[in-house]
Amino acid sequence: MILRVAALCVAALVLAGSAAAACSKPRTSLNALEGEIMCPTCHTTLDQSDSLAARRIEHRIQQLIDRCATEQQIKDDLVANFGAGILAAPPRKGFDLLAWWLPLGGVILGALAVAFGVWRWSRARGPDDEPPAQGGLDEETERRLDELLARLD
Amino acid sequence: MRTVKLTGQVVALAAVAGLLGLLVWRLTHESKPPRIGGPAPGFASKRVDVSGKTLDLASLRGKPVVLNFWASWCGPCKGEARTLESAWQKYKSKGVVFVGVDYHDVTGDARRFLAHHDITYPTVQDGSGAIADRYGVSAVPETYFIDRRGRLVGEHIRGTVADQKDAFFRGVEAALGS
Repeated sequence: MILRVAALCVAALVLAGSAAAACSKPRTSLNALEGEIMCPTCHTTLDQSDSLAARRIEHRIQQLIDRCATEQQIKDDLVANFGAGILAAPPRKGFDLLAWWLPLGGVILGALAVAFGVWRWSRARGPDDEPPAQGGLDEETERRLDELLARLD
Repeated sequence: MRTVKLTGQVVALAAVAGLLGLLVWRLTHESKPPRIGGPAPGFASKRVDVSGKTLDLASLRGKPVVLNFWASWCGPCKGEARTLESAWQKYKSKGVVFVGVDYHDVTGDARRFLAHHDITYPTVQDGSGAIADRYGVSAVPETYFIDRRGRLVGEHIRGTVADQKDAFFRGVEAALGS
C-alpha cells in the first residue's frame, strides 16, 4: 500500500514537472534561431546543415524553447556549452564590437579616400587643361605672331 | 597638400603592414596536428563526470594516458563505449589513465551518455573544440595514446576502437611500455 502511494506521488510529481516545463507561449522559435547559430562541426549555420551535431543542437534549442527560454537565454546556454564560436555573429560588446565597427570604418575611410581623390583630380586638371578663351591670345603667341608679321613687312 | 599626401602614404603603408602582420600571425598560429613521437598537446578543462573539477593533462605526467575524443550525438561513439570502459577496467591497475574528451557537446547530454554506458573514467569538456583542434581531430571518435613522458605513441585511431581492437591494444601497450 505504501509503495503504491509512493508511486502515485512520484507520478504526480513527474506530471507536475512536465506541465511546468511546457510553454504555452514560446518566446522564440527554432526557425528564428537556426540562421544565427553555427554547426560547430561543419562551420555553417544550422539551417544549412544536416549533420548529427547540428540536429542535436536544434533539439537542444527546441527543448529550451519548450521551457519558455528567450532568444538570449538560449544563446547564453549554447555559448556556455560550445563557446562563443557557436554564434554566427559576434556579440555586440567588448572586443567583439570591433568585428562590427571595423568594416563600417573601412567603408567610411574608403569613401573618404575616393572623395579626396576625386577632389584632387578635379583640381589638378584646373586652368591648365582648359582650352584658351576664344578671341584672346596669350603673351607668347602674341609675341611670336608680331615677329612673323614684322618679318613679312 | 604635401602633408596630406605624406599622411596618406603613411596610412596606406601602415594598413599593408597590419595585413601582413595578420597573415604572419595566422600562419604561425595555425594548429598543426601533432606527430607520433612528439609531445602531446596540453590542456586543462572542466570535468564532465564530476561537477566543479578540472583535469590538467600535465597532472598525469608519469602515467600512460589513453585519450578518447567522443560526443553524445556521435553514433559510432556509442558502439565503442563498452570496449573503452572494459579496457579501462583492465588497465587501470597497471597505472593507465583513460581520459574522455567530450567534443562539441551539450554537458547534460554528455552526462546522460556517461551514465547510460557506465563510463567511470574521467571525461573533460571540449565544447568549443579547442582541444580537438590541437590534436587535429576532424571527426569523432578518435583515440590517441600518450606515454609516461607525455609523448604521443602507437597508432592514432580514427573511428571506433571496437572496430580496431588490435591497433587499440597495441596503442595501450605502447603507452605502457615506453
